[in-house]
Amino acid sequence: MKKFAFFPGCVLEGSAKEALDATIKVAAALEIELVEIPGWTCCGASHVQDMDPMAALAINARNMALAEKMGLPILTVCNTCTLMLRQAKSALDGDDRLKEKVNRVIASGGYEYVGFSDITHLLWVLAEDTAFWQRRISRPLTGTKVAAYYGCHILRPQKIMNFEDSANPRSLETVIRAVGAEPVDFPDKLQCCGFHAFWTAEKDAVFLTGKHVDNAVKAGADMMATPCPLCQMQLDMYQPEGRQAVHSTAEIPVLHLAQLIGLGLGFSPAELGINRHVSAASKVMLNQ
Amino acid sequence: MKKVSRRTFLKWGVAAGAVAVAAPYVMMNKNNMFTSTLTEMAGAPALFDVLVIGSGGSGMRAALEAGRQKDLKVALMTKLVPTRSATCMAQGGINGALRHADARDSIEKHAFDTVKGSDYLGDQDAIRFFAEKAPEALRELDYYGVAFDRMQDGRMAQRNLGGHTYARSAYSADQSGLVILHTLFEQCLKNNVNMLMEWQLLELVVEDGKLCGVVAMNMHSGKILPVMARTVVVATGGYGRLYWVRTTNPFSSTGDGIGACLKVGIPVKDPEMVQFHPTGLAGSGVLLSEAARGEGGYLVNKDGERFMRRYAPDKMELGPRDLVSQAIETEIREGRGVGEGLHAAVYLDLRHLGKKKIMQKLPQLRQLALNYEGVDAITQPIPIRGTCHYSMGGIDVVDYKTCATAIPGVFAVGECSCLSVHGANRLGGNSLAEVVVFGKYAGNGAAAYARNNAFDGNQTALDRAADEWEQRFAAVSSRSSGSTVPSIRDRMAATMWQNVGIFRSRTRLEQAVRNIDELLEEYRSCVVRDTTRIYNTAFMNYVELGNMLPLARMVAMAALARQESRGSHFREDYPRRNDQKFLQHTIVTRKGAEYSLTYRPVAITDYQAEERKY
Amino acid sequence: MPTMTFTIRRFVEAKSFSRDYSFEYMAGNTVLDGLIFIKEKLDPSLAFTASCRNGVCGACALRVNGQAVLACETAIESLAARYHSARLTIAPLGNFTVLRDLVVDWQPKLDRMKQVKPWLIPQDAFSADTGCRQSQTDFDKIRGYTDCILCGACVSECSKLAADSADFLEPFAFVKAQKYVADSRDDAPLKHLDPAIQAGLWRCMHCEECTAKCPKSLDPAEDIAKLRVMAFKKAMVNSAGAQHAQAFYEDINDIGRLNEAKLAIRTDGIMKSLTRVGLAYRLMKVDKLDPFHLPEPIKNISKVQKILKAAKEADKS
Repeated sequence: MKKFAFFPGCVLEGSAKEALDATIKVAAALEIELVEIPGWTCCGASHVQDMDPMAALAINARNMALAEKMGLPILTVCNTCTLMLRQAKSALDGDDRLKEKVNRVIASGGYEYVGFSDITHLLWVLAEDTAFWQRRISRPLTGTKVAAYYGCHILRPQKIMNFEDSANPRSLETVIRAVGAEPVDFPDKLQCCGFHAFWTAEKDAVFLTGKHVDNAVKAGADMMATPCPLCQMQLDMYQPEGRQAVHSTAEIPVLHLAQLIGLGLGFSPAELGINRHVSAASKVMLNQ
Repeated sequence: MKKVSRRTFLKWGVAAGAVAVAAPYVMMNKNNMFTSTLTEMAGAPALFDVLVIGSGGSGMRAALEAGRQKDLKVALMTKLVPTRSATCMAQGGINGALRHADARDSIEKHAFDTVKGSDYLGDQDAIRFFAEKAPEALRELDYYGVAFDRMQDGRMAQRNLGGHTYARSAYSADQSGLVILHTLFEQCLKNNVNMLMEWQLLELVVEDGKLCGVVAMNMHSGKILPVMARTVVVATGGYGRLYWVRTTNPFSSTGDGIGACLKVGIPVKDPEMVQFHPTGLAGSGVLLSEAARGEGGYLVNKDGERFMRRYAPDKMELGPRDLVSQAIETEIREGRGVGEGLHAAVYLDLRHLGKKKIMQKLPQLRQLALNYEGVDAITQPIPIRGTCHYSMGGIDVVDYKTCATAIPGVFAVGECSCLSVHGANRLGGNSLAEVVVFGKYAGNGAAAYARNNAFDGNQTALDRAADEWEQRFAAVSSRSSGSTVPSIRDRMAATMWQNVGIFRSRTRLEQAVRNIDELLEEYRSCVVRDTTRIYNTAFMNYVELGNMLPLARMVAMAALARQESRGSHFREDYPRRNDQKFLQHTIVTRKGAEYSLTYRPVAITDYQAEERKY
Repeated sequence: MPTMTFTIRRFVEAKSFSRDYSFEYMAGNTVLDGLIFIKEKLDPSLAFTASCRNGVCGACALRVNGQAVLACETAIESLAARYHSARLTIAPLGNFTVLRDLVVDWQPKLDRMKQVKPWLIPQDAFSADTGCRQSQTDFDKIRGYTDCILCGACVSECSKLAADSADFLEPFAFVKAQKYVADSRDDAPLKHLDPAIQAGLWRCMHCEECTAKCPKSLDPAEDIAKLRVMAFKKAMVNSAGAQHAQAFYEDINDIGRLNEAKLAIRTDGIMKSLTRVGLAYRLMKVDKLDPFHLPEPIKNISKVQKILKAAKEADKS
C-alpha cells in the first residue's frame, strides 16, 4: 500500500473536476492512499513568482511544511504544481540562507519547512513500478493507439524534475503499454501546449493546440493522454480554434492520465467524467 | 576618369543588404576621382573609410574606435559570426598596472616583466607604450560593461599570472576573454558598427603600392565581391592551425590576413616564434589548464613512470612550460608514449588526487577529458601532449602607435600582427591587453589616415582581382581529380608538428621546408568538390589552406635561419641564446614563390639583454 | 568500433533533402567529430560551422533528434545510449532561417537583440577614464549572465518563437536585458526593461525549453521572470500578463486558491472577456465552467495572508 500527502491543485477543484474524480477512483482501485493536504494553497501556477518570488517560495514552503507534518511524500497530478513545488524545494534545500529567510516568513503563520518532503507525480509513481498495478487492469485497451503528450513541466528543467531524461522520456509510454494500449510516437510529444500564455498570446496557444492535435491524428492516434490537467484543458477545449488556426479537420479525445488508467481498470467513461470533455468525448464513449 | 564596373557594384548592392549599405555614402573628399561616378550609381556602392577584417578583440576594438566617428564609413568584416573568434577562449585575465591588488606595481615593472618574458626579443619602445596604455584600456573596458571581478572597494580585482612580478591581471572568473569579447560586441551594436558577417577575405588588393580594397566572398550569397577601402585594418588572428589538431586555437585561426598581406609584399616578422603549451588533449589539442599540475597531477609515461624526475628533479611536473613540453616530446620520441602520429601522448594522471578533490578543484578539466577523450580522470589517466597555443610572430607593423604596415592604408593588429610586444614568448594576460590597447590605436590610426588621404586605389585592379577569383572558384570547385584540402592540410600539420614543433634542428627544418614546398605544389591542383555558391565551406577551407601553406613555409624557413634558442624557439643544435647574432627580428618577405629573409635590430631603450631566469 | 548513422537534414541552394552518412566512432568522439569526418571523407559539400570546438564560442549549435546541443561537446556515445539507437537525426537549429545545411542566419537575430539595448548604460558617476565601482556582491548578481555564448540553443525549441516570432524576442535577448537591469553600474534599467516588455516579455509560454537547452546552464526562463518582477517594481503592469499574475496572487491572498470564474475578467477586463462568451458557453455545456462556483476560503486563510505580508516585508529588507 502506497500512501501520499495529496496535492490536488486548483484546477482539479474547478474546471478539471473530472480529473479529481478519476484520480480518486483510480487511486482507490490501485490501493494508493491519498490523504489530501489540509489547507493547501495554490502553487503559484508559474505566475506568482513573476510578481513576488518570495511569496511564491513561501506558499510552497508552507504547502511542503503541511505535508511534512503528515510525514508523507507529496503526490500531485498536475505538471505545473509538481514543478512549482519541486522548484521551491530545490531552491530552499540548496541555499541555507534562503531557507532561513523563507522559514522566517512562514513562521509568521506558524509553519516551518524542514526539507524531508519529497514531491512526486502520479505518472512517476505508476511508471516507476508497473508491477503493483498492472495486474489490476481488467479491461486492457488492446489496439488503442495513444499519443503520449508529456507537456513541459513534468520534464523541464531537467535538474529540478530529474525523474527521467527530459529529451527522451519513457514514463508515459510505459504506463500506456501497461494498460494494454499502444503508444504512438509523434513529433509534438515534448512540446508546449501554450496554456500559460493563453491570456497573453492566445493565437499562438491556439495554433500550438491545432498543430499538436493535427500531428497526433496524423500519427494515427485514437486519443491523446497527458499527465497534466492544464495541457488536457488546452488541447481539449480549443480544438475548434486550433483546427481553424492550422487548417485541419483533426479531432481527438484528450484524456487525463488517471482517466486512461481508469478505462483499463474497467470504469465507464461516465464514471471517469469523460463526458465533461469538450472534444470528441462521444467517440470515446462509443468506443467503450 | 575610370568607370566603376556597374555589374560588379550592382551585385554588391544586392548582396550587402541593409546593414552594409543602409545609408547613401557621402564622399568626404571632393577631389576624389570617383566621387561623381559613385554618387551617380544606384544602390550607392560602398567605399569604406575603414574596413576592419576580423572580429576578435582587436578587430572589434578597432571597429569601435573608428566606428564612433560618425562621419566615417566603417565596417567590420569577418568570416565568422562575430563572437565566435579566438578571443572568447582566453581564460586568465588582462594585464595592466592598475595597482589595485598591489601598490608596488608600476608601468615600468609591467614593461620589464614583458621584456624579460619576451626573452629580449620584444621591442622596448612598443612594450613601454603598451604598458603605459594598458591601465586606461582596462578602465575603459570597465566603463563599457565588462563584468570584472571586484576588490573590496569596488575597483577591478587583479590576479597573478605566470611571469609577472605582481598581481596585475584583471579578470572575470576563468572566462575573461569571453566576457571582454561579448562586451566589445555589445558596444559595436550600440555604435551601429556595420558588420559584414560571414564574409571570407580572399585577397587584399594593392596596385603600385596603393591600397584598392579587398576581394571577399559573402558566404550567405556565395558572391565574390570587390570592396573598396581607403584603409584596411587586418585583425584576423593567429596561425595556430598550421599545427591543425595540435593546437588550442579555434578552427578559424588560419592566418587569413597574414596570407593576404604576404601576397601584397608586406613582410612577416618573427614567424618562428610559436608558443606551445605542454598539456593539450591527445586527440584534439584542446587545452587542459595548468591547474591540473598545480593541484598535484602527475605526468607519467606508458610504463607508469613519473618521468619528470629525469628532467626536473626538484620542480617535477611544475617545471616551466617549455621544459615540460620538451620532456613530454622526448618521452614520445624515445618510445615511452602511447598512441601514434600526431595523437601520440603521455598521461596526465590525477587518480591519486581522489574523486573528491578532482570534483572540487578540477571539475571543468574532468569534463573536458570526458567530452573529448572519453576518459574519466577519476578512474583513468588522461592522454595529453604539447599543443600550439599562440603565434608571437605576424604581420610586420612598422609604427606601433598606429599599427601601420609598410603599405600606406594597411594596418594590422592583434595576434595576426607582430608589434613586437611579445618577442619570443608571450606572458599570460598580455594577449588580451594587447588586443584592446592596440585595437584602439589601430582604429584611430586607420581613421586618421582615411581623413587625410584621398582614395587613390585602382578600381579596375580591384575588379580584375575579383574576376580572377571568380575564375579560380569555377576552376577549383569543379576540378575532379587531385589531392583533397584536408589531406594536404593534415600533412602540413604533421610536418609542422614533427619538424617545426617543440624541438627544432637543421635537418628537421630543412625537411619541413622541402615538404611544404611539395605541398604548395600539390595545392595548385587540389580539389574542393563543391560547386555550389551559398555557404560553400569546402571552398572556404581551400582558401584558408592557401593562406596557411606559405605561412608554414615561412615559419620553417625563419626557424631554420635562427641558429639559437630563444623563448619558445628551441634548437637542439643551438641550445643557447645568441644575442650577438640574433638579438634581431626575422623579417620574411614573399614575392610569388620566392621567399627572402632579412633581420632587423630589436628596439632596445631601457633594458640590456641578460640571462632569463625565473 | 560501433557504427553510427547520421541522417542529416540538408538544404543547399533552395533544395531540401535528407542524407544518411555512416561511420565508425570511438569513445570521446563528438557530434562535431562525426560531421568533420563526413565532410572530409564522405561528402565535402556538407556545410556546418564550428570554431573553438570546446564549448565557448557557440558556433556549432544544432539539433540532434529535435533537441538543440553544442555539437562539439556532445559525445556520440552518450547520444547512442540516450536514444538506444545507432541512428541520429542531425538538423539545423529551429526558429532560425537556414542558410545552408546546418548553417543558420544570425544576422536578423542580432539585429533584433538590439531592441533591448544590450549594452551598459553607465551611471554619470563613472567615466571611461576612471572606470566603474561595483561591490563584489553586486558583481555576483551579474556574473552568471556573462556565461552566455550566443549559441542559439535557447532559440531552437522556444515554443513562442515556433508559434510566432513577430512579437517575441529570442530568449538570449531577454537574458541580455536582465543582465543590464541587474547591473549596479547601469543607470537606466527601464531602457532595457521597457523594450523587453514591448518585445513580448509577457508572452513567454513558460515551457522551460530555453532553460533546458542552455549548454552553459543559464536560466533564460528565470530571467524572464526576473524582468517581470522588475516590471511590477516599476509599476509597469498595464498588461494582461501582469494582471494575470496579480490575479493569482490576489486569489491566494483572498481564499488561498484560484477562483477560475473571476480569472478571465481580472486578466482581460470585462470587455475582452465578453468576446469569450462563445467559449464559455461551450464549456458550460459540458459542465466545465460554473460561473456560480464561488470557492470558499481555505480554513487557515488568515495565516496565508500573514505569510504573504511577511514575504512582502522580506522582499524589502
